[in-house]
Amino acid sequence: MRLTRNDKGPLIAFMAPALIMMLLFFVIPVIYVVVVSFFKWNGITDPEFRGIRNFALLFKDKAFLRSVLNNIIWALVAGFIQVPIAMVMAIILSRKPKGWKFFRTVYFLPQVISGIALAMLWRAIYNANTGLLNGLLKLFGRGDLARDWLGTIETAFPAVLIYWVFYIGYYMVIMMADITTIDESYYEAATIDGATDFQQAIHITIPLIRKTSLATCVTLASVMGLRQFEQVYMLTNGQPANTTSTIVLYMYKKLQEPNYGMASASAVILIVVGIIFIVSLRLLFNGRQENRQVKKRKGA
Amino acid sequence: MNTNKVHAKLTGKELFLQIIRWILIVFFTVYALFPLFWLFMSSLKTNGEFLAGNPFSLPKVPQWQNYTNALTVAGLGRMLLNSVFVGIAATLFNVLVASLSAYCMSRFRFRGRDNYYTLFTTGILIPLNALMVPYFVIINRLGLYNTYGGLILLYSAIGIPMSTFLIKGLMDSIPMEIEEAAYIDGAGFMGRFFHVILPLSRTGIVTAATFEFLTCWNEFVFANLIVSSEKLRTIQVGIRYFTNQFSTDYVSMYAAIVVSIVPSILGYIIFQEQVISGMTSGAVKG
Repeated sequence: MRLTRNDKGPLIAFMAPALIMMLLFFVIPVIYVVVVSFFKWNGITDPEFRGIRNFALLFKDKAFLRSVLNNIIWALVAGFIQVPIAMVMAIILSRKPKGWKFFRTVYFLPQVISGIALAMLWRAIYNANTGLLNGLLKLFGRGDLARDWLGTIETAFPAVLIYWVFYIGYYMVIMMADITTIDESYYEAATIDGATDFQQAIHITIPLIRKTSLATCVTLASVMGLRQFEQVYMLTNGQPANTTSTIVLYMYKKLQEPNYGMASASAVILIVVGIIFIVSLRLLFNGRQENRQVKKRKGA
Repeated sequence: MNTNKVHAKLTGKELFLQIIRWILIVFFTVYALFPLFWLFMSSLKTNGEFLAGNPFSLPKVPQWQNYTNALTVAGLGRMLLNSVFVGIAATLFNVLVASLSAYCMSRFRFRGRDNYYTLFTTGILIPLNALMVPYFVIINRLGLYNTYGGLILLYSAIGIPMSTFLIKGLMDSIPMEIEEAAYIDGAGFMGRFFHVILPLSRTGIVTAATFEFLTCWNEFVFANLIVSSEKLRTIQVGIRYFTNQFSTDYVSMYAAIVVSIVPSILGYIIFQEQVISGMTSGAVKG
């Protein structure tokens, strides 16, 4: 619609609140963490410039390196184990077996529960004395396997990581929405040719969603893996011996010290690792040449 | 489709796939529901029953006083009210601000419009947890540390990209002719927004509001960061402190967790379509 002279005032008034909020809570903060990452600052006394020293200190700190490693493992497990499982279930449910709507609702349910409540639930499940997991093991006569899952170095990180892997509803729903847009005639032709459901999934469904919803979900799941905080904070607070720490948890602890410089430096590393993940996954799924085309379709 | 085939016709291989399929379906159903069911059952047991340790046993007499305990002793009621108040205020503010900017970007051409829109959509992808330090400093500088206002402002701000994206998407689908007709009838900028576009964008606004409220309700990191007083605690921060308060009274703690989860589940059941489309359409964009 054309703007008339009289519309200019209201237009500015309409755009201003959102733009101010974007500036204050997105643009300035991103610039802010980058700047502060070069300073030594406790939030009270004057900041003191110290170049890349914060980053040097970070890379010497074993707790930080372990946090980065954990985040990378988390991102890879989310992208390449959780999402493929979600894809299998999306393929199964989009064939509309009996009760598929009910199952879709149920699988998505954990997604609406807060991370902190889910973490508390799983802390209860993993509890050494009263937990559901040890209770089940004893019930099935394998009480010898019962242990303090979150307190033992060998099992703590896998325990924190694994419960999350089977909450697939979010990615499944995204891929199901994509699968339903696939032309029915592909499957009809394949069925006439005698292809089984399994062959149809391998040769029709997966190739057709690979560059769209599958790529989106892998990227999304990896990025979520890099952002983990509530789970580790609530389940273990990084213990035992920092084996379950993540970058955000490390940052949170630095902020509490208060060491704003180091906290910001770890935030910058988080953003950089995130960008590396996003770019490499784009390359993995699209290849260089097709990049432009995919972008165009997304914009449409 | 193929699932309707007559069973007699199934070959061994197909039968095998059918069995695998239903094992998977049942596994994920149990995985999503059983822990919640166990939590609920545990919250109705006595501590003695619970410690006896059989996960499949049902409470002999449902101990509803565990819930009274959680609500009164730990001040859960107050935290629920805080969450509801902050959630509603932030959602209203967020949806209002987002609708205003979505209207401008959807209906008008002006300098910088596309850059603004790119800024908004990039905002969806930023890992907000990484911005803890600046948020903490900004909220302090604004004098909003430890206030409802701080939480409301921060929550409505971080939801702006998503809400703008959802509402603009709907506004884009409203035909220009409708607005032009109003224009010819003499309706001004404000009149067209409030009487024509806003009512027609209802579904987009409801989706954005549902998503925003759910985000506020479940948010923990920033609530933990910028509020210190017990009186202002939201439910998510509250249940985190129950672990200390109820270190031996397991069943009351479980009751508290159930109380924090129930509103999310009820909201999900009522607004299922909005919740799912709100959560997934942002993702597909990214």
